[in-house]
Amino acid sequence: MKNSENITEVDVGTIHPALIEPFRIRFFVEDETIVDSEITYNAAHRGIERILEGLPVKKAHMVTEKICGLCSTTHLWNSVRATEKAMDIQVPERATYIRVLVNELDRLHSHIFFLAHGFETLGHETFTYRAFALREPLMRMLYKLTGNRVHYSTAVLGGVRPRCDPDKATTSALLSLLDGLESQLGPFIERVTQDPMIISRISGIGILDKKTAKELHAVGPTARGSGINNDVRARMSEYDDFDFDYIVLKGCDVKDRLLARAYEIPESFKIIRQCLTMMPGGPSYEPVKMKFETQYQDAYIEAPRGELFHSLKIDEKGLVRNYRVRTPTPPNLACMEKACRGDQLTDGVLTIVSCDPCLSCSNRATVVDNETKKERVIDFRRLKG
Amino acid sequence: MIKTLGRKRSIHVMLVYTGGCNGCDIEVLNSLLSPYYDLEQYRIMLTFNPREADILLVSGPVTIRTLDQLRAIYEKIPEPKAVVAIGACALVGGVYTNVYGELGPSDQIAGPLSKIMRVESEGVGCPPSPDEIINAVAKAIPRVVEQK
Repeated sequence: MKNSENITEVDVGTIHPALIEPFRIRFFVEDETIVDSEITYNAAHRGIERILEGLPVKKAHMVTEKICGLCSTTHLWNSVRATEKAMDIQVPERATYIRVLVNELDRLHSHIFFLAHGFETLGHETFTYRAFALREPLMRMLYKLTGNRVHYSTAVLGGVRPRCDPDKATTSALLSLLDGLESQLGPFIERVTQDPMIISRISGIGILDKKTAKELHAVGPTARGSGINNDVRARMSEYDDFDFDYIVLKGCDVKDRLLARAYEIPESFKIIRQCLTMMPGGPSYEPVKMKFETQYQDAYIEAPRGELFHSLKIDEKGLVRNYRVRTPTPPNLACMEKACRGDQLTDGVLTIVSCDPCLSCSNRATVVDNETKKERVIDFRRLKG
Repeated sequence: MIKTLGRKRSIHVMLVYTGGCNGCDIEVLNSLLSPYYDLEQYRIMLTFNPREADILLVSGPVTIRTLDQLRAIYEKIPEPKAVVAIGACALVGGVYTNVYGELGPSDQIAGPLSKIMRVESEGVGCPPSPDEIINAVAKAIPRVVEQK
């Protein structure tokens, strides 16, 4: 099909204003309609799993945080969780609450950033500015709470870093910030959903039906926009104490993928409010006794973009062995390729952005044949031989 | 004289991300687009067209697969131009070349940036705060305007 006469190839990337991150999309276009697309995404490969091999555990946690800048706390928390499970360490309850608190604040800023990015791709600069204006107080609050923007380094083995333990003043400041944000965000989302121009631009394009989403194992809000409830938070014991709803929409198009994230923002507010009001006393960090030579241990968590998987083993010297990370974007990439089929060319990039690609964490090893210049990703069976 | 005045009033900034974790890009976009910092009020505009750019912001440790694209973009920017390195990765390689286990540092990294091209000013931090980014961009402006 790709070699047919009527089909033109349109390249987007590697460096492109709508993508920010380096990856390349090839749209195969007939007339104005996309018939096929292909995503190549290995430009940001940094070899993190390789540098993690043989690192002391605590140092490895420091590196896992730098996998991604949008879900840094999720990566850190999940690697700490995996280690704690492997070493059989119990965490004080207050520490769990603080971790959930920072994780939900992180989800909030990630979702608002996604909306801003979406509007920028749409070409609606006013909404981009408004979304960024909503996000900045959040970032300042995270800075006040944890001491840094973007990389918060909250979770450590056995609890949280003492700096991140909120005192009374920080708690009340957070609560008043939430009130302010809630009163601004509600009208903003309402304004977006009732804007006839925006809605007519985003509804009915980038169709990803439920069956395809299930086949391709879509995760996170991309799947929840197609009617699949697969929120990992339902399976996490850390979230048992909190009362919130999972957002599942059935529209299967760009609009519902955008709105699934927009409607998750109030749910995060609910969790944060419960966290702050029900925060138990006691210590937030207890020194741990490290146990070496553990079994392989995996851990799953709900990152802002979907299910995140970490697995590791600790050898007799306390070094990390065979660290594996699977981020939410690889399963969603297949969905993006499928979803933009049948779109107009102008909607293609928007459809891909609506699945929220985060390429910095998803780059895998690729084999490049020097003679034919062809690339392929090797699967597990071939690697075994 | 008129040229200098004209340049001073329309500095175009291009952002290239070369690996890294996204954190710096978010902060750069934040300092350019968010109403809180809004560099556009000082007539510093974000562009993604290298032919109209004056200042190149580079974030990330420069992976070997983005090296060619980065060089191509650098060559397309007309003189006078300045390069600003944003974040610990672009400056020293970050965790990817300085932290490693038994297999040594990552072999996918071609950076830090100063090995590849002349760096005019530096935004320090992981990630640098928006104030730091604005400061770094402001430091690079004299090279573009007065060609020092």
